[in-house]
Amino acid sequence: MTEFIQATAFGLLIGGVYALFASGLTLIFGVMKVINIAHGALLILGAFLAFTLWEQLGIDPLASIVITTPAMFVLGWLIYRTMIGPLRSAPLSSTVLLTFGLALVCEAVMGLAWGNNSRSARPSYFDQSFDLSGIVLPKAQVYASIVAVLVLALLWLFLNRTWTGRAIRAASANVQGAALVGVNIAKVSALTFAVGIATVGAAGSMVSVLYPFLPGSHYIWIARVLSIIVLGGLGSLQGAVIGAMLLGLAEVYTQTYISTAWATAVPYVLIFLVLFFRPQGLMGTRLREDVAV
Amino acid sequence: MALLELRDVHAGYGSGPDILTGITLDVDEGATTCVIGPNGAGKSTMLKAIVGLVRVRSGEVRLDGQRLNDLRPDQILDRGVCFVPTDRSLFPEMSVRENLVMAGYSIDDKALLGSRIDEVLEMFPVLAERRSERARTLSGGQQQMATLARAWIVRPRVLMVDEPSMGLAPQVTEQVFDVIRGFRETGMTVLLVEQNARKGLECSQWGCVLDLGAKRFDGPADSILANPEIHELYLGRQANGNGSASDG
Amino acid sequence: MTGALERTGLDRRLWRGLIAVAALLLVTYPLFFDDLFYQNMIILSLILAIGAVGLNIIMGYAGYISLGQSAFIGLGAYTVGIASTRIGGDPFVWIPLAGVIAALFAALLGVIAMRTRGFAFVIITIAALFILQIVAINWDSLTQGTSGITVPLPTWDISIQNWPFYYTLIALLGASLLLSWWIRRTKIGTGLLAIREDEDKAATVGIDTPVYKIIGFMASAVFLGMAGGVYGYYIAFIDPIAMFDIVISVQIILAVILGGRGTLWGPVLGAATIEPLNELANQEFGGGNSRLLIFGGLLVLTILLLPKGIIPSVRDFLERRAKRGRAALVGGRLGERRALDGKPATATGGTGQNLLEVRGLHKHFEGVRALDGCSFAVEAGTITGLIGPNGSGKTTAFNLIGGTMGADAGEVWFDGERIDRLPPWRRAYAGLGRTFQITRVFTDMTVLENVVAPLRSFSWRQLRAGAVSGEEAARADDLLAFAGMAEYRDERAEALSFGQRKLVELAQVLMLDPKLILLDEPAGGINPTLIARIADMIRELNARGKTFLIVEHNMPLVLGLCDPVLVLASGECICAGAPDEIQRDPQVLDAYLGADFKLEEPVGAP
Repeated sequence: MTEFIQATAFGLLIGGVYALFASGLTLIFGVMKVINIAHGALLILGAFLAFTLWEQLGIDPLASIVITTPAMFVLGWLIYRTMIGPLRSAPLSSTVLLTFGLALVCEAVMGLAWGNNSRSARPSYFDQSFDLSGIVLPKAQVYASIVAVLVLALLWLFLNRTWTGRAIRAASANVQGAALVGVNIAKVSALTFAVGIATVGAAGSMVSVLYPFLPGSHYIWIARVLSIIVLGGLGSLQGAVIGAMLLGLAEVYTQTYISTAWATAVPYVLIFLVLFFRPQGLMGTRLREDVAV
Repeated sequence: MALLELRDVHAGYGSGPDILTGITLDVDEGATTCVIGPNGAGKSTMLKAIVGLVRVRSGEVRLDGQRLNDLRPDQILDRGVCFVPTDRSLFPEMSVRENLVMAGYSIDDKALLGSRIDEVLEMFPVLAERRSERARTLSGGQQQMATLARAWIVRPRVLMVDEPSMGLAPQVTEQVFDVIRGFRETGMTVLLVEQNARKGLECSQWGCVLDLGAKRFDGPADSILANPEIHELYLGRQANGNGSASDG
Repeated sequence: MTGALERTGLDRRLWRGLIAVAALLLVTYPLFFDDLFYQNMIILSLILAIGAVGLNIIMGYAGYISLGQSAFIGLGAYTVGIASTRIGGDPFVWIPLAGVIAALFAALLGVIAMRTRGFAFVIITIAALFILQIVAINWDSLTQGTSGITVPLPTWDISIQNWPFYYTLIALLGASLLLSWWIRRTKIGTGLLAIREDEDKAATVGIDTPVYKIIGFMASAVFLGMAGGVYGYYIAFIDPIAMFDIVISVQIILAVILGGRGTLWGPVLGAATIEPLNELANQEFGGGNSRLLIFGGLLVLTILLLPKGIIPSVRDFLERRAKRGRAALVGGRLGERRALDGKPATATGGTGQNLLEVRGLHKHFEGVRALDGCSFAVEAGTITGLIGPNGSGKTTAFNLIGGTMGADAGEVWFDGERIDRLPPWRRAYAGLGRTFQITRVFTDMTVLENVVAPLRSFSWRQLRAGAVSGEEAARADDLLAFAGMAEYRDERAEALSFGQRKLVELAQVLMLDPKLILLDEPAGGINPTLIARIADMIRELNARGKTFLIVEHNMPLVLGLCDPVLVLASGECICAGAPDEIQRDPQVLDAYLGADFKLEEPVGAP
């Protein structure tokens, strides 16, 4: 029983970080209907930035989000201007291939800049754990999840309480409708993409303490991206959070009750199961490009 | 003097053929103009071309003498042209009030926006009643009222409405037209596309018949209703006679 | 599409000559040169080309992108590796098995992806690649995990170098090209192309889309699996990381896009361009990161700058040059129309039996009730009109009857059979044909290909039939003559005007020889001459026993052509009756016609 509670708590904590990771993806898909395959690679890039700040300047990896987030925001804006923007009217498949190519470029650049060795930021609390009457939770994981939830809350406030946030929500509900109430779609798209990449920068800071990572680690994150999509849908922030939590739990349960080696297969198995039994996605995701109305 | 002018406008979608094949049209200030014509004539495309949702390939769209071609929809809204499409373009997951707030996105004075929202909630009691519910739960008629309320918040110089009666029961249609009449009485210029030609023309001062992407006739609305030639060619198709029926 | 260059300006013979010379050079190369570096490069190019020609079947013809093609290389290599080390025998013996395993795995993925569209297929193929890699890593007892399988070295004489690998791969590439060429020329190819252009529409003209997609995917895997087997033997060491390498998938995709998707030779051209780059990256820049950088960057640049690929871009350029001065077809005149052969049936009009019955259909979209308990019937032998204001649910009713959408509740009965659970193609086989409000012809096919695309039944044998058989072509020619479109038979449908597309779509539906034809606004957006022509065609077909259900706004046409007329309002059928009754029904007048409706004169009344 303790084992189960432990696994559930751990799964939810991991799910919190996944949720932050997936939120940017959902945001981007909502406004411009682009599935950003490079999301994982940009996450790892964020992790490398946090790692370097910690190693070179001694900045705490979780605190480094105040640097990684704006840095990734700028990068996201540049990517939108040079690649995503010009392909605005292209079919979904083109942008999938484009962002896949971008992921490979990103992996290569990280490999050239930081080498292909496994890294991990190790602040003082790295090896410590909270022990709640037998349930052991690593401090780094708990702190990271708290920060992730805080960033998500800020994102929620931004989307619901500011004019820019409203414009983003309006554009993702109905692009034409948003244009007709005066939203500059090109500008909001660029901004949304930049915000989406900024959140993944924040998530990268978290990843730098949670898992050892190397440039090639982004493939497993592609898998996680895709399974969160089929689990939670791309419709809303809530869907992404639910998908992320489900994935976190499924991974931890597999680790606990089956084997660590097969835990990496969990996202893929989930993809197959969901798409076979519910082709529309678990939460009614519009994965079909061509739904006739 | 015409507030909105179209001069030999050609437009179409993607790489497809021209849907508008040279429209020239004047929309007078302070009047309601109704565009009728068979399905596929290019009526909606014309409105979309004016507001920048469809690219104008050649010709010119002018508001008050200033060229609108190649501006974005948000810039055209800033110039004072507001468009209500047939799908009504509400934000389904936002509350009715939030939808009204979004309508004021282009209004910089937020205090003014607040008072205008209060004003429309008074004008449309049905919206006030359901202000905190999601827009997708509204009935078709209520949605149309919400989009008209949004337009009233913006106070555009030209309001363009695409098929306001679409999918609505006759009684509700009547209410919608009453609201549009009310707008015009305040001096707003209205450009209407309507399949229910008789209702549309009755609520207008000027009428225009579109077919195969170009203007075929235009003139005072009552003269269009009375013109036997237009009547035979176009109103018959629209399944709407004028008052001349003796066996109706 | 295939051999696109031959069709246009560039001399057909020159193109063929180029291919023949290239093939000859390829075949004779090892006999004259013994440089192993270049031999190796050609061997790897051949594998890439086999992968690209295969991927082109599913991606170029059917429009489905697979990012997991290297999974088939890995599957093939492991099949050969495991079989030859466990069971024994020469590894070459096991190569056909590698192809079979790859094809079966593709079929399995196809079944999983059967009901999904577009992006979901990309997800499934990536997931398949990675999950195979994980299995290969973790299933130690079979695959020896990360330590990999060492295949025994070849036993043939050193002097013949790598010839067996080389010529096997040449044979496999030849077979791949043959398969690709053959598919494009059969019903499978037409079906795949139709799926790429408009999958919903393809289903309504009788194309069993899941079966076509699965066949297409299997065809894209089979020779790549075999090539994977050869590859495993060639490099003599099979490990999970190199065998299930996603970068190879990217190279395969890149070869298809760069060369030109949908063309026969484009993928080969793409592969021949990319593999030398790969060698360059490995030799000059030490592989690894620079290889990623080159191919990732190339993928980005190709999609941004050359999305159509080399061969189609050259073709477009030549076509534009050839077309200069030729008048566009849009707005072109209509051809003479020919009456149908055979005598009309003596009795026309209703037969008293219901061909179609719709019972209590409901359909909601995001809170909008498009259909709300809609019930009506269409009597066999009639031309039934369906009118109602915009937004009253007419097109939704058509979509539910045709099967493009599923109903929330209610039943559809056709010819004594309940059809509302059947997929669209089964409804087409039962005798239901439809056209669309905005015409949906397959724009990238010729007019003739459009008309012969529909299928009246499903059989495995017919898949092998030529895309345009003599008998079909004759029938299609008859129908095109009937529609007055005979002179456009070899034009691409893209070049047609809206009205011409309507005529082609009607001829296309007639190819199904349907009992009931659903027409969605046949008179919408076209000129009066053409409206009169379509009305004549409908009457002529009706006299020969076809039943029609027509959604139309053009009242004179409806009242002159249809009897009875059904009236839909707010998602319900509020009234049905003869045209003159409808004009007088107070409910109808209120909902639709306007209280003082009077029709001047029905158009073209007999």
